[in-house]
Amino acid sequence: MTAVWRPAAGLAVLAAALAGLGFTLGASQLLTLNEAAGLALFAVATNLLVGYGGLVSFGQAVFYGIGAYSVALGWEHLHWSYWEGLAAAPLLGGAAALVVGLIALRARFLYFALLTLAFSQLAYEIAENQYHLTGGANGVFGAMLPVSLAQPRTGYFFVLAVTAGCLAIVWKVTASPFGLTLRSIRENRHRAEALGVNVFGHELIAFVVSGVFCSVAGALFVVYSQSAYPELLDWTQSGYAVFMAVIGGMFTFLGPALGALVYTLGQQYLVAHTTQWQLILGAALVLIALFRPDGLAGVSGLAARRLPRPRLARSTLAAGGEDGEPDGGPAKRPPGVAGEARR
Amino acid sequence: MSTFIIDAVGALSTAGTLFIVSAGLTLVFGAMRLINIAHGSFYMYGAFLVTTIGAAGAGLRFWLAVASGCVAVGLIGTAVEVSVMRRIYNGEHLTQLIATFGLFLIFADLALKLWGSSSRTVTAPAAVDGRLTLGGATFPEYDLVIVGFAAAAGLGLWALLQRSAFGWRIRAAVEDPEALQASGINLRLLRTAVFALGAGLAGLAGAVVTPQVAVAPGMDSAIIVSAFIVAIIGGLGSVAGAALGALIIGTAETIGTVVAPSWASAFIYLAMIIVLVLRPAGLLGIPEQAR
Amino acid sequence: MRPARIVAAATLAAAVGTGSAACSSSSGSAAPASGGSGTVTIGESTTLSGSIAELGQSGLQGVQLAAADLNAHGGLLGRKVRVVSADDAATPATGAANVRSMILNDHVAAIFGPVSSAVAAAEEPVAAEYQVPIFFHTSNDINLLGKGFTRYAFQVVPNTVMESRAAADYLAAQSGGKQITVATFAPAYSFGYDTVGGFLQALKDLHVNDKLVAQQFPPLEATSISTYLSRIVTARPQYLFNAQFGGDLVTFTKQADGYGLFGKTKVIAMYDSPVLSALGPAAPAGAIGFDRAPFWAIPGLSSFNSQFHAKYGAWPSEWAVLGYTAVQTWAYGVEKAHSFAGPGVAAALPGATVPTIRGDITIRACDHQAEVPEYVGTVAGSVDAAYGMTLWNPPVFTAPFSTIDYSCAQMQALRG
Repeated sequence: MTAVWRPAAGLAVLAAALAGLGFTLGASQLLTLNEAAGLALFAVATNLLVGYGGLVSFGQAVFYGIGAYSVALGWEHLHWSYWEGLAAAPLLGGAAALVVGLIALRARFLYFALLTLAFSQLAYEIAENQYHLTGGANGVFGAMLPVSLAQPRTGYFFVLAVTAGCLAIVWKVTASPFGLTLRSIRENRHRAEALGVNVFGHELIAFVVSGVFCSVAGALFVVYSQSAYPELLDWTQSGYAVFMAVIGGMFTFLGPALGALVYTLGQQYLVAHTTQWQLILGAALVLIALFRPDGLAGVSGLAARRLPRPRLARSTLAAGGEDGEPDGGPAKRPPGVAGEARR
Repeated sequence: MSTFIIDAVGALSTAGTLFIVSAGLTLVFGAMRLINIAHGSFYMYGAFLVTTIGAAGAGLRFWLAVASGCVAVGLIGTAVEVSVMRRIYNGEHLTQLIATFGLFLIFADLALKLWGSSSRTVTAPAAVDGRLTLGGATFPEYDLVIVGFAAAAGLGLWALLQRSAFGWRIRAAVEDPEALQASGINLRLLRTAVFALGAGLAGLAGAVVTPQVAVAPGMDSAIIVSAFIVAIIGGLGSVAGAALGALIIGTAETIGTVVAPSWASAFIYLAMIIVLVLRPAGLLGIPEQAR
Repeated sequence: MRPARIVAAATLAAAVGTGSAACSSSSGSAAPASGGSGTVTIGESTTLSGSIAELGQSGLQGVQLAAADLNAHGGLLGRKVRVVSADDAATPATGAANVRSMILNDHVAAIFGPVSSAVAAAEEPVAAEYQVPIFFHTSNDINLLGKGFTRYAFQVVPNTVMESRAAADYLAAQSGGKQITVATFAPAYSFGYDTVGGFLQALKDLHVNDKLVAQQFPPLEATSISTYLSRIVTARPQYLFNAQFGGDLVTFTKQADGYGLFGKTKVIAMYDSPVLSALGPAAPAGAIGFDRAPFWAIPGLSSFNSQFHAKYGAWPSEWAVLGYTAVQTWAYGVEKAHSFAGPGVAAALPGATVPTIRGDITIRACDHQAEVPEYVGTVAGSVDAAYGMTLWNPPVFTAPFSTIDYSCAQMQALRG
């Protein structure tokens, strides 16, 4: 008795469940999910680059922060409503992504990651130091939300709706010919080039799309926090998006969203119940890295549909030499999305 | 003129500290392709150990504390390598980042438990604690001590890399890993030694700066980003590059502070972006394709 | 979209829903009758990790000691006081989330304040939304009771304007009308700019004949400050007003000494007991310090000092004294209102005079600022025999609230 699941039906179930939660949960849980939803969009948009494009970027927080600051500074200096800020966010984020992408995408792998990290920190320093424009380290606080959004329940439904809509668009992108080409570039760049694909162009478009949705995620964050501050732009914020993608499973579409949920719940739980959060989080990260680098998607064995990955050579000193492979060989190892490929 | 001298000495002192830390970082990356965020933790531990061992600062005791701090951190590094690092060499950089960031958090928490949250200071021995006057400018003698340590570390590393068998193997690992593997060297031992050396260097830098800063939680994150930038600008794997990068960053920070103070902290990131755009592997780094 | 994944996600979502609904409270304001009969809970969300952890830890110790003392004397309205704490990692969103969680899950009757004014600004509206009083005892930006004022916010620590005015008062007394050259050194963020701005304005208001020869704003937590220092040194000011605190001030002192700054310039800075303790023999004798609650100089604190020292092995910092005072203020409000409910306590406190370990303090009705003085003194050249550390030379100058505060009208103007 096997039911034939179609993706649309499954998603409808999920959407209904989440909407249902909006009616049953209390304010505190709704606000948590509020935060998680925005982060889920941030993580999935980042994963467009990391998982689908093989471009590990430590700079997506630039656009996330721009989204939040678009709302906040628009409110403070230009007396915009939230809606105007929300509309401006993807435009500003996309423009910034174009600029950053044009510069950063000239580098590969590690140096691409480091360049994007530098941009993240640059944005952070600018926000922190240009005190008269951005309020400096304090950030911008205030009643920048319309009353309807400031309430947990309506805010939750709004964020859920926008997130769902954006995820649908990103999904369309990944499932389109563009998305498939992007994946082929990740698999083998030179082969794609040889086939006449404009690799740089595709990567740039992916970068801009990611930036646009990271910005929207930042604007959604304001619904949760009613503020914007410089730490939203720094490399650790960028790192969280990547971590969420990795932990949730970067080779699946919704994996990062799951990672965002786990991260949000875990962080709140940890901070509320113990002052040892650094120790526990640190130990968890080390254990994940050692035993589950595939992320949670690997845990439940749902990764069966992944394509086989080519094995990449690495620096010999690091590649195990006479020690053998601690994790049993190439079959379990994710590809070198950030590795030093010798092609 | 006097301001110039003070600025120059200050820039050299900053560059000196950055060089020692970054040299360790760049060696470890060059030889083992390992990104280690917890490198900043080693720096902080070196500083804290000195405050515990040698707070009194009476002459010899301070230098002994610095030496012990450096060695102790090297031992901590060895323990970390054996238990965690050697399992992640095979992983992707992302996995290494996650693991070393986890270690960074663990070390930060342990430091809070061991040494608490209050600031600590150390007094340098009287012999080097005075002031020098040069060309109308007065500056602390200890700045020159830091520069001296940086120079000694630089010379020591040069001698090690160019003149010793161990150094030859490290350079081989950086430049031609396949040949090294084929030559039958005990790679496991080499990796442990290189990692311990890198940790020891970070610990040394932390130990050396103690008389001039407040030793407190937060030192680990404060240094790690600058250290990475210096190592990257110089070219990962190149100690000479780390020296060059440190000088550039030390100077850029100083100039930035003078010329446009509110942009000074942004300057170093701009510098990194510019260098990477013009020379993607860093100034003295080896481009990936050429290997 | 793989079916199994959707099922897993939906299950997870349902689990989150039921699990949290099972222990959730109602939306809206939470009743503060908490934690089982016989106890009431208060929450302190503050910075317990990173470079300003020292201030957070110390404040928390003060709060915990106050709760323990209340319990030793029979509790509050017959209930035992329980303290819950959380680390905000100096991040505004974390602070706000902590506060929300403490209110909704721990049912706290009051929140006690963070270290960072940015975090405080994020927490203030959350507390107001749930009608829970929040007491600031470390963060002190003027806008907490200015632009961001809510009727649930109270502050027992002098604000940024008061501190700089006290320093200016002291300087005015010292300079006696002669022209003096002045420089400033402050961390490059709002606290630094506000404090320096307040100081310079106060000098003007007091008609001090000052000439500003240099201003430097190094980044917060910077350790290579030689360039900033060199410019101050070459400008040769008679007085340097430094708004740095904690570890930054310690670093400044060590390096400035290397440039011989203390010989030619009188530095005015927050040389409180943690900083002086960290500096040890390097404490700058003759420098001018200001402190919000110096444990050695406030009459009536001696038994508190011994108690604190016995429990924690160190003398209390100003943050601990202020944390203790904050809990006492809340307790007074509870007793006066005969209830733990937020609105009652918040209504009982404005205008009240609260007896505390540091003497009686009045909570000003118009802005909920405690009418407390700021203390200024000169760093001693030798170790104080009673406390085993370098402190200030007596007598300590007390700048009374009335001379250093903003008036009610001025605070009202800030609210715009």
